[in-house]
Amino acid sequence: MSIGYSDNKIEILKLVDIEKNYGSVQALKNINCEIYKNEIVGLVGDNGAGKTTLIKIIAGNISPSAGKLFLNGKEITFRSPMEAKKYGIETVYQDLSLCENLDSAANLFIGREIYKKFLGINILQKREMEKRALQIMSKIGINVPSMKEKVEYLSGGQRQSVALGRFVEWGENLILLDEPTAALGVQETKKVLDLVLKVRKEKLVSMILISHNLQQIFEIVDRIIVLRHGEIAGIKIKNETNPDEIVSLITGADLINKPVVGL
Amino acid sequence: MDISRSQQNNKILRGILNNVVWIILILFIVVCTFTVKGFSNPKNYANILDHSVFIGILAIAECFVLITNHMDLSVESIAAFSAIFSAWMCAQSPAASGLMANPFLTLMIVMIIGALIGLINGFFIVKLKINAFLVTLSTYIIFRGLGVLLTGGKGIAGLSYSFRAITLIRLFGIPLMVYLMIILYIVFYFVLEHTPFGRHIFIIGGNETAAYNFGININKLIYQVFILSGVLSAIAGWLIAAKSNGAAASIANGYLFDVIAAVVIGGVSLSGGFGSLIGVFAGVLLLAVISNTLNILAISPFMTQVIRGLFVLFAIVLDSFKKLLK
Repeated sequence: MSIGYSDNKIEILKLVDIEKNYGSVQALKNINCEIYKNEIVGLVGDNGAGKTTLIKIIAGNISPSAGKLFLNGKEITFRSPMEAKKYGIETVYQDLSLCENLDSAANLFIGREIYKKFLGINILQKREMEKRALQIMSKIGINVPSMKEKVEYLSGGQRQSVALGRFVEWGENLILLDEPTAALGVQETKKVLDLVLKVRKEKLVSMILISHNLQQIFEIVDRIIVLRHGEIAGIKIKNETNPDEIVSLITGADLINKPVVGL
Repeated sequence: MDISRSQQNNKILRGILNNVVWIILILFIVVCTFTVKGFSNPKNYANILDHSVFIGILAIAECFVLITNHMDLSVESIAAFSAIFSAWMCAQSPAASGLMANPFLTLMIVMIIGALIGLINGFFIVKLKINAFLVTLSTYIIFRGLGVLLTGGKGIAGLSYSFRAITLIRLFGIPLMVYLMIILYIVFYFVLEHTPFGRHIFIIGGNETAAYNFGININKLIYQVFILSGVLSAIAGWLIAAKSNGAAASIANGYLFDVIAAVVIGGVSLSGGFGSLIGVFAGVLLLAVISNTLNILAISPFMTQVIRGLFVLFAIVLDSFKKLLK
């Protein structure tokens, strides 16, 4: 169920010649791609191919060694994840970024706590955050017993839903999901995928989804970007490709934009 | 998916362990009331509260720092230096500066000095990324040394009544400084539990990466926590000078261990992310009660040291045991 790729697509994000080096190790090279409005893009590749590095650059956690990023046509540089958030980029990290010592409501609102000023002092509005948290979690549909339960006592699926709750509530332009169903069972995985589709439809956001599960990818994405050894091995529209082709791109078919060594 | 039975039992056990300090405190008081002569009378209770003020205020500082998963060993030395400096500024003694400065002006000055020391601590920890234990160990040594230098090896005594008033004037038999301590506990309890600042402290202690990912200014908060620690330590030091009518080079010696014992037994985790000032208050009271009892029983001060040490050990083992339950 993908969207057709006509020319009147609005470009949300554009990466031009993005590179990332760690000393002599080249994690990413020659990254050129666009993400369009309201599409879901699957980012696949073997371990070490550079998927998480690329996501972290878009999320603002790390800066590229070279290259440019364009958001809605304007060139931008993120100096921190918070700046990316200001542009409406929300990330679900692979490790979930949860604080075990706090409850679900507190975790949902990390960095965006609701507070009121009273006599010059900022006072946390815990009840309001709890109420909003319940609303957010009910949208997701995975039952969390109490918003006041410390996250360390929650199951894997419940924790995942807290991490997902953040993007359901605050994702605006672009949502980055790094292996959102890695630790989940079959039923919970289906719920997450349904949620992803629902949010895409309701908010018209774009999403980049990293996953090792090709079946999952083929179920919900519109396009697939394949990374291999830090370079783009191929960009395919889902309806015009198949899992076998993707696997061969992941493992070692020719690169589509292999640089021509001019003579 | 509900949590398993064993996890539920663990939860109950951890809940008990987190509040065990109150259980021990009440047990101790009950036992002492019946077995130690001279324990259960208003004057002795006032005495206990009296002696809990200094460790109590230092414990607030240490609690904040520990929750962020750092540690401040310099609290004792900042207090000692503040006590000595205050005495030097205000005392009517040949060993003093001769300034006979206003005590409250001096309080402001030592608070600024404490803040600056906290800033220095913060700088080495945040910018130079040196372990907090090592940094504050160094400032601990340096400022104790500076204090000794300032006293010239002698004691500085002879403070004015207005300086000492807060320790001498009693309301319902309890010195004003005890009320000050209680007010500080209420204020900082509120800060820790009900302000974004307090919430961010728990977030940094719980998962620093998550704090970074969601835009919390970790560096700024670490600076603020260490500066707060410095200021509170300075206040404690000023009060110590007021109580002792001056200061000698060895003032506040050994307070650091009492502070650590009090916060750990009060439920603050040494690995960050957990702690409550209510528990800390109980821990402070417990240590004060123990000291008081040993005093009444005329137990040798050396034995007292051993017993205090055992309590620190007990508190640390308790902390580790709590972690094992996860």
